[in-house]
This record gives sequence, structure tokens and C-alpha cells, in this order.
Amino acid sequence: MMEYYPDKKEIILDRELSNLDRLVIDFCNLLDSYVLVSGYVSILFGRSRGTEDVDLLIPLMSYPQFNKLWLKIHENGFECVTNSRTDDAFEMLKKHAIRFSISGKPTPNIEFKIIKTDLDKYSFGNRIKVKMGKESLFISPLEMQIAYKLFLAADGTDEELMSDKDIEDARHLYKIFKDKINKDELLIFINKLNVKKRLKWLK
Amino acid sequence: MVKMKAEDVKVDLEEMKKFKVENARERLKFIDFWADYIKTHSDKEWSRQQNMLIDSQIPENL
Repeated sequence: MMEYYPDKKEIILDRELSNLDRLVIDFCNLLDSYVLVSGYVSILFGRSRGTEDVDLLIPLMSYPQFNKLWLKIHENGFECVTNSRTDDAFEMLKKHAIRFSISGKPTPNIEFKIIKTDLDKYSFGNRIKVKMGKESLFISPLEMQIAYKLFLAADGTDEELMSDKDIEDARHLYKIFKDKINKDELLIFINKLNVKKRLKWLK
Repeated sequence: MVKMKAEDVKVDLEEMKKFKVENARERLKFIDFWADYIKTHSDKEWSRQQNMLIDSQIPENL
């Protein structure tokens, strides 16, 4: 059974790694620092669904740093799906996400974004280490993830929201960690993201 | 069975709407069931089952 130590910001997970986990670990091992956010976090903790992309945030870097990383990524069997030139990719990264995948296999891919907003900064600064045997990954704090997933769900009627994958992701994470998460912190993000009306989907 | 033409198909939207709601409710129920399963079984056990779904979409790589 997984063990979550909120004070240490650490989760011990004894799962069998999926091919998706291996891809994410291989990619993340090439990075100095990062935080995984959004759908993959739910999948890592058992959500039974596939995905086309894995969202990842990294701190701002200079062009020489980016160029070095670009080469490292390409030397290790990945390629950029969105850009073929390093300078274009670097420019694009300032405003948008760029995507990397295993060479010749565009999906699933890693959606790679620079940390910009306060929510991004919070995710990175309070990231949780998930230890899986010899491997580990850094994920966004669960309280923020749950609120963010509720926020991501498309606007719509209750009937439409009921089958939204983001609502399902939020509910899954909440059900798994409800005894361990910080409810006050969850409410802070629920209020900041103005999704109080969507709280009912967690219960 | 006689081959039907698309224009002859009658759709009861009220019935379809009920089906949609029921389907979504069942999905939420399954999420609760699966979360309970995860919490009461070893990580190895639930992940083995989850991997059947994930690995069927993502073949072994690298």
C-alpha cells in the first residue's frame, strides 16, 4: 500500500512500472529539476485511463543551458515533436509548451513548459518526491492538483461535468488521499480557482 | 435484418439524455470502487491491472 508522508513531502509507491512510467522516468532523469503536473499525477496513483501527453514544468533557463539539454534529450532517444531547431524551440518555450517524444513515436509525448505563474511556482516549490524502488519522480502537491483538476473541467451543466475526465481525475486523487491531504490548503486553492461549486464532485 | 437508411433512424433524445446521465453516474461509481480497491490491495496488485490498460496503448519502448 502506498505511504504518504506530508511533512517529508514524500510518497513511497511500490507499483509495477508501466511503459508510460518508464518513459516519464527516462525523460525526467535527463532533467536537473522539474515538477510533473496534471493528468499523469492521477495515472501514477492508479487512475485507470491512458493519456496522450504528460505535463511537466521546468524552471526558466538560458539559451546555452537549453541547448545543452536539447542535445542531451536527443542523444537519449527522444526528439522534439513541435520544433526541429533548437533556437525556434527556445523562442516558442517562452510563450508556449514544446513537446518531446520517443524518436519516431509522437504519442505519448512530454509537454514541456516553463514555470511562469504563481501556481506553477507553488507546484515546483512544494513538489512531492514519489519514490518507486530505485526510481523517483517529483509531482505537484496533491491539494493543488485536486483543485486544479476541478478548475480544468470544461464549463457545462452538471450532466456534462459528471463525465468530464478532469472531474474524474480530481475525484480519484481525492478518494485515494483524502485521509492525508491538508483540507485547509485544498480549500484555499478551491477558493483561489473559484471552483467551490465543483467540490460536490469529490464527495 | 433489413438494412436501415440513416434518415429512417429515430432518436429519442430524452432517452439518450437519461442514458448519458446514468452512464456518467456509473463511471463515478467505478472511480470510487477502484479507489477503494487501490487502498485495500498492494501497489503491485492494482498496478499490474492498471498496466494492462496502459501498456495496451503504449508498447514497450526505448
